[in-house]
Parts: sequence; structure tokens; C-alpha cells
Amino acid sequence: MKTLFINGSPKKRFCASSYFLFLQRLFVGGDKVTEHLRTRGDYQRILDQLPGADAVVFGVPLYVDGIPSHVMGFMEEMERSCREKGLHPRVYAIANNGFIEGKQNEPLMQLMENFCRRAGLTWGGGVGIGGGVMLNVTRILYFVQVGMLILNLLFNGISTGDFLPVGPLQSFLKNVLWLLYLNLGVLFYLIRMGRAVRKREEAGKRYTRILVPSFIFILFADVFFIILSFLEGGMFRGWLAKKVPDR
Amino acid sequence: MHIERKEEYYVKLILHDLGEAFAELLTRKSDHMINANGKYAPCQGCFSCWTKHPAECFMKDELQQACRRLGQADELIIITKNLYGGYSTPVKNVLDRAIGTSTPFSTYRGRQMHHTLRYGRKGLWKVIVYGDITEDERTTFTYLAERNAVNEGYERSEAVFLDDIARLEAVL
Ligand SMILES: Cc1cc2nc3c(=O)[nH]c(=O)nc-3n(C[C@H](O)[C@H](O)[C@H](O)COP(=O)(O)O)c2cc1C
Repeated sequence: MKTLFINGSPKKRFCASSYFLFLQRLFVGGDKVTEHLRTRGDYQRILDQLPGADAVVFGVPLYVDGIPSHVMGFMEEMERSCREKGLHPRVYAIANNGFIEGKQNEPLMQLMENFCRRAGLTWGGGVGIGGGVMLNVTRILYFVQVGMLILNLLFNGISTGDFLPVGPLQSFLKNVLWLLYLNLGVLFYLIRMGRAVRKREEAGKRYTRILVPSFIFILFADVFFIILSFLEGGMFRGWLAKKVPDR
Repeated sequence: MHIERKEEYYVKLILHDLGEAFAELLTRKSDHMINANGKYAPCQGCFSCWTKHPAECFMKDELQQACRRLGQADELIIITKNLYGGYSTPVKNVLDRAIGTSTPFSTYRGRQMHHTLRYGRKGLWKVIVYGDITEDERTTFTYLAERNAVNEGYERSEAVFLDDIARLEAVL
């Protein structure tokens, strides 16, 4: 019972797909292998993992309403490889997108489903997650909270002798519960899908998102890009200008 | 290539994966052309085309300013081989590398969240699909083209399915 997890984000580190695959792995037992598919150079290594895998879980970002091109290229090769070797793993997908509506992943899910039909594989369903970038930020915030708590307890302990003060513990718990709340939809559907993956069953297509109202989400997203564009300098290089080609 | 935009003029851009075939026809029918030859590096997902050097990719190849070319066009015609009801890998590569057509800011379009448009509203997002295709894949492609048109700020979308690529001229 081997499950192959394929992270289709081209980013080297800190991708949202790796966060959701991490959560998904928690709810799937048995032999688990995770591969990062970033370039063509990764194709063969991952194709070599296919024999013996009876379930494949793709974790992919939504790119222009579809699947990133390097993952499409991989799927073409996977179709060929599965036909040649007579492989029929069940395929699941965890898609995440930048915008808040998880439902925007629907075309991606259809592409995956059509791919399965072409390649003679069984489509197992998937979860489409809106607000992926921000959910990914909640995982850093979680570690920040843990770090701050430890420092707080240490300082407090050294200065007052009380290593377990109620105040900092309470505020830590409150903040962590907030972060958990934002992830509740994701956790619920990934637990459900994990059960289906364990049993090699059909999970259906489900859509969820970060649990905040969309106008607040947009406000945060705008502030996020303003800060990033300030730090990286784009704001001062014709940030929103209608640039024409130089060549 | 220097592109001058005349306001009263309707600019047509063709993005295709046909290689050198139909070159004369495509040149005649378009103002600008992007040949998705499959030799470009895929997008790395860094968003620096928004936050670092706007409307420009950090990778210095022919697609570095692809979004600016798309930005100049009122009508986009994509000629692509079918792949699972979506764009062929080379065509998708170009689309992924061209998200600088929008800005990092968000807004609502069609009651959903999308980015604001660097180059304003556009006309037609037309997809001409060739190659073997199933009924499900047609449904997916038509839906995908609609979604792309909303996301990229086009007025409308159209998906045309060609059984025989020799009929290309009739649908351009
Ligand atoms: C080239 C490109 C295209 C994108 N297109 C969309 C899109 O159409 N809709 C959307 O909601 N998000 C879109 N996004 C945002 C990503 O889906 C989002 O950042 C996601 O969280 C990335 O996941 P990752 O960190 O695993 O790579 C796009 C991002 C990039 C780089």
C-alpha cells in the first residue's frame, strides 16, 4: 500500500502545496513517498516511483485557471508511462489557489479527471482550497506563536520565578485557536479525503477556503502585496503602469 | 519588435503551438504572434513580475515581456492542441509566464475575486482547439475559456473545435 504524493509547485520552498500535502499525509497511513515536481528534470525520478504506488496524490497550485505547464508536461509522460507499464493507480488532487473561492479550482479538477480517463487511471476526487497563500502564512504564524510563548515563559520565569504564568499561556491558546479556526474547512475535507485515500475509495470533489469574509481577505491580500512590492522595489519601477515591450 | 498601440485600431494577437506550419496564414491574420515552441522555461511562481520588476519576468528569454505583448492586444486567439480539455503544455507555459497582464491588486469580477487589470478590459478570448478530443474534454475546454476570459478581463470567450487543422483559415 504505497501512496505517492507529488508536490507540483515550482517554488523551491515554502509553497502552499507542501503545507496541504503535509496535512494530508497526517491522515493517510501505510508507505508514503513524497516527491517535488519543479522542472522537467524531475520527471523521470518521479515516474520511477509509480510502479508499486496504488494511489497518487497531486498537490498543485492553480495557474491561470488550470494546471501549471510543467505539471501538464509531467502528466503527458505519466500517461505514457502508465500505459506502457500497465499501471492503474487511483489519482487524487489537492489544489490551492490565490483567490479566496476554492470553487475556482473546478477547471483544474476537470482536467485531472479527463487525464485519468485518457491514461486509464481511476479518478479518486479532490479538494480545492481557496486562499492558499494566506493559509500557508498561518503555518508560519503558528511557529511564531510557539517561539514567542517560549521566550515569554523564559523571561517571566527568570524575572519572577513563575515559569507557568496564566496570561501568556491564555493568549497563546487564543491565538492558536484562531489559526486553527482559519484552517478548519481545510482540515475537515483533508481528513475526509485521507480516509478515502486510505481505503483507495472515491472521495468526490470538494471545495473549501480560508474561513474569513472575502472583503477582509482582499484587504489583507492588498496589504500583503503592497508590503512585498515596497520591499522588492517594484512599487518604484512603474508598479501599475501599462508597460510596452522594449523589443 | 516594437509595438505601437493606436487607440482606434483593434489589435489581434495569435498565440499558437503550430511551429512553422501555417506561418504565412497566421502572419496575415494577426498583428502579432507568439510561437509557443515548448523551449521556454516554465513559470517559477515568484510573483516578481508584480512585486520586483513589474510586467517583466526575471527569466531572460523571449517570454520575458510576453505579458506586455498580450497587454497590447484587444483580441487574443489561442490555437492549441487539446490536452485533457486544456491548453497544450507549450501554450500553457506562455500563459503562465504572462500574468503580469494584471496587477497584484484584487477586485471582484463576475462576483468572484480576481486581479485588477494592468491594461484594462479586452475584447475576445478565442480558443481554437485541434487534435483528438472527447465530449468531456470539450465541455472542460469551453468552461476553461469562459473562466479565463473573466479572470483576464475579456468581454467574452469562444471555443472552436477543429476536426481537421486544414480548416484553420475558415475559423480565424
Ligand atoms: C502563474 C500563476 C498563475 C496563477 N493563476 C491563478 C489563478 O488563475 N487563480 C488563482 O486563484 N490563483 C492563481 N495563482 C495563485 C496561486 O494559485 C497561489 O499563489 C498558490 O497558493 C500557489 O501555491 P504554491 O505555493 O503551492 O505554489 C497563480 C499564480 C501564478 C504564479
